[in-house]
Amino acid sequence: MNRVERAVLIERRVKLFFFSASLILLFVVLMEVTNLLVSFLLAFGTYFLMAPAVDYMERKGISRLWATVIPFLALTLAISIGIYLFIPSLTEQVHTLQLKLPQYLDAINKIISHLEQQVGSFINPVFPIEVEGKIEPRISAWASVLLRELPDYLSSSFTILILVPFLTFFMLLDGREFVRGLIGMVPNNFFELVLNLNYQISSQIGGFIRARLIESIVVCLLIWIGLLAIGFPYALVLAIFAATLIIIPYLGPVLGALPAYFISLAGGVNSGQLLGLTLVYLAVHVIDAVVLVPFLVAKIVDLHPVTVVLAIAIGSQMMGILGMIICIPVVATLKVTSAALYRHFTDFRT
Amino acid sequence: MNYIWDNIFRDSHKEKSIRQKIKANFLFQDLSHTELRLLEKIVNVRNYRPGENIFRQGDVGVGMYIITKGTVNIYVEEIVPETGEPKTAHVTQLKEADFFGDLALVEENGRRNASAVAHSECILIGFFKSDLMEITGRNPTAGVKILLRLGEVLGQRLRETTAKIAELKEQNGVTL
Repeated sequence: MNRVERAVLIERRVKLFFFSASLILLFVVLMEVTNLLVSFLLAFGTYFLMAPAVDYMERKGISRLWATVIPFLALTLAISIGIYLFIPSLTEQVHTLQLKLPQYLDAINKIISHLEQQVGSFINPVFPIEVEGKIEPRISAWASVLLRELPDYLSSSFTILILVPFLTFFMLLDGREFVRGLIGMVPNNFFELVLNLNYQISSQIGGFIRARLIESIVVCLLIWIGLLAIGFPYALVLAIFAATLIIIPYLGPVLGALPAYFISLAGGVNSGQLLGLTLVYLAVHVIDAVVLVPFLVAKIVDLHPVTVVLAIAIGSQMMGILGMIICIPVVATLKVTSAALYRHFTDFRT
Repeated sequence: MNYIWDNIFRDSHKEKSIRQKIKANFLFQDLSHTELRLLEKIVNVRNYRPGENIFRQGDVGVGMYIITKGTVNIYVEEIVPETGEPKTAHVTQLKEADFFGDLALVEENGRRNASAVAHSECILIGFFKSDLMEITGRNPTAGVKILLRLGEVLGQRLRETTAKIAELKEQNGVTL
């Protein structure tokens, strides 16, 4: 190995060290600092939602700074109006739901115990397994944890409320320069590969996140309007819940509808209300499947149902409900990355 | 004190020279001062040592490079039909202000059809597909200007290749 080759090797190692160290540091900071991961993910989502508007304004000849400031102020204004209009009723709905939770859980317990007995009498002659008393504690624990932790989430939301706009603003203004600086640290022999990966990941994942968020917002609005129309209580809370879970493919629509059914059944079996609920959720999911998904589908990374279920299982084990939601974009990123790496390394070399 | 001022001067001079080098390139010569300033923020400046690979034949092509300092050798690896062994042929040596790899800007997952290796200490300005997409998104006028010039370059290359094929066919007595 001559002097130049040695210098190239040392340079590559130094660059690789700094590049990897920067990524690891970023990851550790995100995982360790309270609220930072959630804030970062929300900022990332908002960034992908706002980026087209910022680019559009820049195309019209406005400087990047003003093209960022104007949509940013417009969104802040819209969110402030939204908070002013909806937070009182949302808080009231959550509060009422918290108060009535023991009552609902008690009613649900009865229904589930009844179901368990029926299922048990049907299954036990064939498979002598004990199902009684196993499903209900899980559901009640999950529901009470969700509602008990909700105020904690809301109290930490003050930090998030400050961090998210701050991060989003600088992602929009300087995000590309930051990524360019990071890629600049990559050694020459990996430079084109990393650049290509970054291009493919940012274009596909950007589209994926944007499509999912738009889908989620539309679903939230439709369910809210639908539930209001049939006069169902907690319309806003249930719509937000369903819209958040719709991000999870296949399982999301079913899980998102469950609380409404539990609440309905807890108040006694009312076939008219149940029919109304079914119609609302079914209509929204038909609109989602027939209109929203085909319209946005080109931008959504296609994931196999088995992959989705496995990802959700791992995500929920690691980070609970948040893990179930963020695992899908993470898996989609991993899929795009591995596909790009596979193509890069295995295709022919002429 | 002089030392500090010297450095500041050198930095601004370096930036200015990058803009000038971009402006001097055929692809970017129609760009206005503002468009060049945007492009300057988008491109990547890379340093290579002698013998270092810039890209290898068969790699996925991501974009083009402009040489601002040094020389670059272009090699093609071929399989000799008689022996089945690979043979590396030196195609050309590119010098300052030359550019290469531009076909990758318009190809979707296209492969590099030659290898580029730094012959001396090189400073290259990399302009990649993602940069072309970014400039087209942020300033479509600049994007169109670059794309028109790129079309011209590719058209010129096609004409030269067609002429070369015609010449070779004539040499071998094949009628067109």
